[in-house]
Amino acid sequence: MRLRPCAMVGLMALVAGPALLAAQEPPLRQRIDAELRAAWQREKLTPAPRADDAAFLRRIYLDLAGTIPSYEEAKQFLADTDADRRTKLIDKLLADPRFAAHQAQVWDLVFFGRNPPNGDATRKRDGFRKWLAEQFAKEVSYDRWVRGLLLAEEGDTGLFYVQYRSRIEETTVAVSRIFMGTQLQCARCHDHPYEPVTQRDFYGMAGFFARLTFSENAGGKQRRYTVGEKSTGEVLFSGSAKEQRPGKKGDPVKPKFLGGPPLDEPPLPKDFKEPKAPAKPLFSRKEKFVAWLTAPDNPYFTKAVANRVWAQFMGRGQVHPVDDLSDKNTPTHPELFQAMTRALAEHKRDLKWFIREIVNTDAYQLASTGKDADPLPPYYERARVRPLSAEEMVAALREGTGTNAANRLAGKPAPEGATSEYMARYFGEPTNGRGDFQASLQAHLFMNNSGNIRQMLYQRKGSLSDELAKSKAPWPDKVDRLFLTVLTRLPRPEERERFVAFLTSEPRADQLIQDAIWALVNCAEFRFNH
Amino acid sequence: MRSFIILTLVAGLAAAGDAPPFQCDKNTLAWSLPWEDDWVTAVAFAGPRTLVAGNEQGAILVWKLPEKVGDPAPLPVRTLDGHTNGITRLVVSPDGRWLVSASKDRTIRIWDMKAQSTDKATVIVDAKKREKAAKKAGMKELPKAPGATVLVQKADRVFAQHKDWILGLALAKDGKTVVSGDDGGQVYVWSFDTAKVEREWKVKGWVFALALSPTTSQALISERIPLVFDSDRHAAVKIWDAAAIKVERDLSPAFKGEFFETAAFAPDGKLLAIGRAGETEKGKIVLLDPATGKKVRELAGHRGGCNDMTFSADGQRLISCGRDTLVRIWNPADGKQVAELGKSRGGQFKDVLHAVSLSPDQRWVAAADMAGMVQVWRCEAK
Amino acid sequence: MNPHVTRRAMLKRLVVGAGGAAVANFGGLFNSQTIADEVRRSGKRCILLWANGGASQIDTFDMKPGQPTAGPFRPINTNLAGLQICEYLPRMARHADKLAVIRSMHTSEPDHPGGIYLMHTGYRPAVAVSHPELGAMTAKYCGSLDSDLPDFIRMGSTGNGGAGYLGPLYQPFGLDRNGRLSQFASSGSTPEAVRRRADLLRFVEESSAREHRAEPFQAHRLAQERAWRLQRTRNVFNIDQEWARARERYGDTGFGRNCFMARKLIEAGVAFVEVGQENYDSHADNFVCHKANMNILDPAWSGLLDDLHERGLLRNTLMIWMGEVGRTPGINNRVGRDHFVRGWTVVLAGGGVRGGTVYGATNPNGNGVRDNPVTEGDLFATIYTALGINPRVRHFVGTRPIWATPEGARVVREVLA
Repeated sequence: MRLRPCAMVGLMALVAGPALLAAQEPPLRQRIDAELRAAWQREKLTPAPRADDAAFLRRIYLDLAGTIPSYEEAKQFLADTDADRRTKLIDKLLADPRFAAHQAQVWDLVFFGRNPPNGDATRKRDGFRKWLAEQFAKEVSYDRWVRGLLLAEEGDTGLFYVQYRSRIEETTVAVSRIFMGTQLQCARCHDHPYEPVTQRDFYGMAGFFARLTFSENAGGKQRRYTVGEKSTGEVLFSGSAKEQRPGKKGDPVKPKFLGGPPLDEPPLPKDFKEPKAPAKPLFSRKEKFVAWLTAPDNPYFTKAVANRVWAQFMGRGQVHPVDDLSDKNTPTHPELFQAMTRALAEHKRDLKWFIREIVNTDAYQLASTGKDADPLPPYYERARVRPLSAEEMVAALREGTGTNAANRLAGKPAPEGATSEYMARYFGEPTNGRGDFQASLQAHLFMNNSGNIRQMLYQRKGSLSDELAKSKAPWPDKVDRLFLTVLTRLPRPEERERFVAFLTSEPRADQLIQDAIWALVNCAEFRFNH
Repeated sequence: MRSFIILTLVAGLAAAGDAPPFQCDKNTLAWSLPWEDDWVTAVAFAGPRTLVAGNEQGAILVWKLPEKVGDPAPLPVRTLDGHTNGITRLVVSPDGRWLVSASKDRTIRIWDMKAQSTDKATVIVDAKKREKAAKKAGMKELPKAPGATVLVQKADRVFAQHKDWILGLALAKDGKTVVSGDDGGQVYVWSFDTAKVEREWKVKGWVFALALSPTTSQALISERIPLVFDSDRHAAVKIWDAAAIKVERDLSPAFKGEFFETAAFAPDGKLLAIGRAGETEKGKIVLLDPATGKKVRELAGHRGGCNDMTFSADGQRLISCGRDTLVRIWNPADGKQVAELGKSRGGQFKDVLHAVSLSPDQRWVAAADMAGMVQVWRCEAK
Repeated sequence: MNPHVTRRAMLKRLVVGAGGAAVANFGGLFNSQTIADEVRRSGKRCILLWANGGASQIDTFDMKPGQPTAGPFRPINTNLAGLQICEYLPRMARHADKLAVIRSMHTSEPDHPGGIYLMHTGYRPAVAVSHPELGAMTAKYCGSLDSDLPDFIRMGSTGNGGAGYLGPLYQPFGLDRNGRLSQFASSGSTPEAVRRRADLLRFVEESSAREHRAEPFQAHRLAQERAWRLQRTRNVFNIDQEWARARERYGDTGFGRNCFMARKLIEAGVAFVEVGQENYDSHADNFVCHKANMNILDPAWSGLLDDLHERGLLRNTLMIWMGEVGRTPGINNRVGRDHFVRGWTVVLAGGGVRGGTVYGATNPNGNGVRDNPVTEGDLFATIYTALGINPRVRHFVGTRPIWATPEGARVVREVLA
């Protein structure tokens, strides 16, 4: 084969690129493993063994695609003998449209939680999530899509502000917490007791949002708003909460960047009158704030997202909790934290690159098993255990029970009633607010007994129970298929034995098959990403 | 049934003939009569220029209005003494002689407006104004004198059967029969002369609005149990056959969950108006055909609920007041608002105009104002 | 396989598992076990009647007749000399000798979410620590892990804190609005089928427990065991027939029925029952709101007191009536009263309480506390003491020690027997 010159150039560049980088600095994934290993030695910790392929497979599917692999996908991967099969699978999943949709879901929860304020307008966020998914699908860098989000000029991006509307103190708290990893709520009522953040700093930040306007759009079932900005309006500061008196008027506070200079703002023209429905202000504070926030040298922005994404895959932020990057809250691995923040900045805050580095580490691919009970090991010497989100539960149930397969065969989804709503209610907030898992009795009752779950177990053409009932394969093989479909692993010998005995305990296996699937979707192994 | 209505119609016209028609092309605020002790909750005219008002503490004052706008604001001349809790409704007998008052003290009192009295008392109606002035002047004690010297009058008779707050009160057009209802759901039909119960029944909720048709054959009763979220909430609007004590029309399904605080039959008995109460943004008055219970039209305009209303004597106008501190005057024939008295006070939440009354000579409109006053307007033709 | 034996065996193993680790999540689940055992023997129970939205003290237990802010309700005498309460609480007036009325609550969260958290946990909401509700604490120290019924059951609008650092074992179990088990409490299958698949699931869990020992797995397995045990208690929740007889006593309302259910549950050994009553948040039309509420509250509360008393349960059952805030003395132009935390009322009764007590006082116009202010911390210290729980019992959140009530909280001995 003869290569044409231009293709030659391309090939050379491909070869030269990584090589050149490698000469300067090892890839981040290696740096991470080196730093973590050093810490284990220092702390005299023995890391868990490498997770087997099945455990890795389930974990990476849930983390990147928000669901478990199909039976076929699992079978194929476990049969793969390629030494690079894990890296290749990671690349495949990062290119899968499910990756973008799943990240959108994760970030949507970061922005809104389960019960956002101003629910009339914010409860339904399909448009918002679609916009977010597009950003991930188009590989828009983090700073650029945050810019779009906070400018709130396209699509449903305004929803983020709409949850707080004119309560700009809430907006200030949320923006600084989410995008800067900084807790400002204490400084709202008084100077921060432990941090060098004063109440004036708080109101200085609030000043950037003081001019946002929200005009309600007529028509449609859901309340909708357009976010605009005025040219006038100040945030008023009236001293600490203790000094508040009814009728006390505050002093206007000029916008000031946190830990930075005050905003340089041109004076308004003389005799300026605010138009009734301003589309664009003469001078946009919002734009200035967004430019400051997303600038490469912003002291908070990249650090905060590096920590958050790290925690998303590794369980615990290097600063924990992820949104409290204060001076007193030091990272577990300070040098690594600095290095990965710098690397993320150098890669133009490309989250997909960052995620790829993390999930390719040995640390991410460790087993989660062992005798220790802490689900979020502080030194990452084992993989973390996290509950599936409500959305992941629904997706995993549909995959694991063959509902997806049956739907594909039928050409249309089976009606599922309020399953997603119930799952959000019972599984939506599975922690105590500090990230600690809490199992709820109600969630179990729903999983155990509801018709919503039961109908996923029914025999429908293509469903798992149907496949198992109709298959002529020997029972041990069927049990293997059952385990691989639901739990993404093969049964242990004693499990295979027990399930075969169970499934053959009566002449008709139909109901027994459904019971067996029921047992697996209800077990703890299914509930967690481990 | 049909002949009945024609008869009433004739009667209605005859009654209207007694007074010149109500005109409201030009409306002037004549006086804001201060009464600052508490919220003024009820108002009625007992004669062309005899104005009666009650307040949240249970006091009733009587004013004699001057001849014309521009005359100095009058002070009260009489106090009707007896109630011990908020006055909810004031009704005057057709001949103008008797005043009937309902109260949260669970009694209804009947007062002879012609009665003589020698007892005197001093009332101060501008206590808050004085307090302000005293504060400004650095005085510790409030300047008490001079107040208004008023005659103190006792009730002629008391109806004391009710066991809970009485918000429903109506007097038959012939002046013979009173119907009243309370928050226990108890409804009494009783003799105006003897205060003896003639009939009684119970409704499920609390009696809120109560109105009698000109022939006394129909009674509109709206009910409430005002809980916002619970299953224990209850709302109902029903037209009762007041003689047979049975529900003639249950209008509740058409007004699910809506509470109506005020109701009035047009003088000819052909229209029934009900006014929606509470902090609803959709304050509205609904006009119904009492014979069929069918909705004729809706008068939309009050922001916040409508608290009270009255038809002009000729039935050509409906005057209402409500939580938007406005008196609104409507043409029931086309549902259009024709005039507005007072100014909306603004602010997220406004004061309440609790009650409105039209003088028998159709020239004055008075409103009971939560802000501690009675407002009186002169209404006339262009 | 005998399911009961399996369950006990499993519990035992899990206890060892959780106790052996330096745990953050369960906050020292078993480090106070000895104390818990002791309290449990005392058989203390607690019922919280929750006035959601915040009841008006002036319109109930701290009336101010003659004051400009008195409102239209009038006081009536009670069976306790010198104590007058609202005329719309006539049945409770006959129980005043059983009550301890604290008229001097001075608390620190004037709004709903914060106030609801505060008056369920004794602490203001904090980012770093999620505190357990009173119900969870009572479940831990007065409940029994062996019980088939959940130790912390609630109905209606109630708390928002959950079990906090005490962990999933003490999570509240909600009944539906009508005090019935949720629609998912039963599978509809035959008992035989239920047991068959339960055995299979237990087998799977035992098998996986060899590898997966992280706390979440254990919590999941424990919750599953409780879900099965609940099936054995179904008849406790079926009160339709008895309710036909009890409704006269409790008042024929949803809240009345839930109060009756609370009696049944207490009798069945549940440690903590909370019954929420809605609609106290009367920023507008305060008086009609409160009248309607008292019409429901009066028979339900007094009926519950009578019923517990007749069955000898009141002696060991602490009853609390409170909401998240009181209401302003001032009446606004919506005929409403707003939130007020500088002088409001909480009422205790029953187990551990000195009946016929009025503690603290607001000043004549109700604008603040005149005597003996009681903070939320003081109240919780008092409640815990009445329940035999040490108000300074310590748990751990990670490495951080945390106490059941804030430092400096004072037990109001005067209201305790």
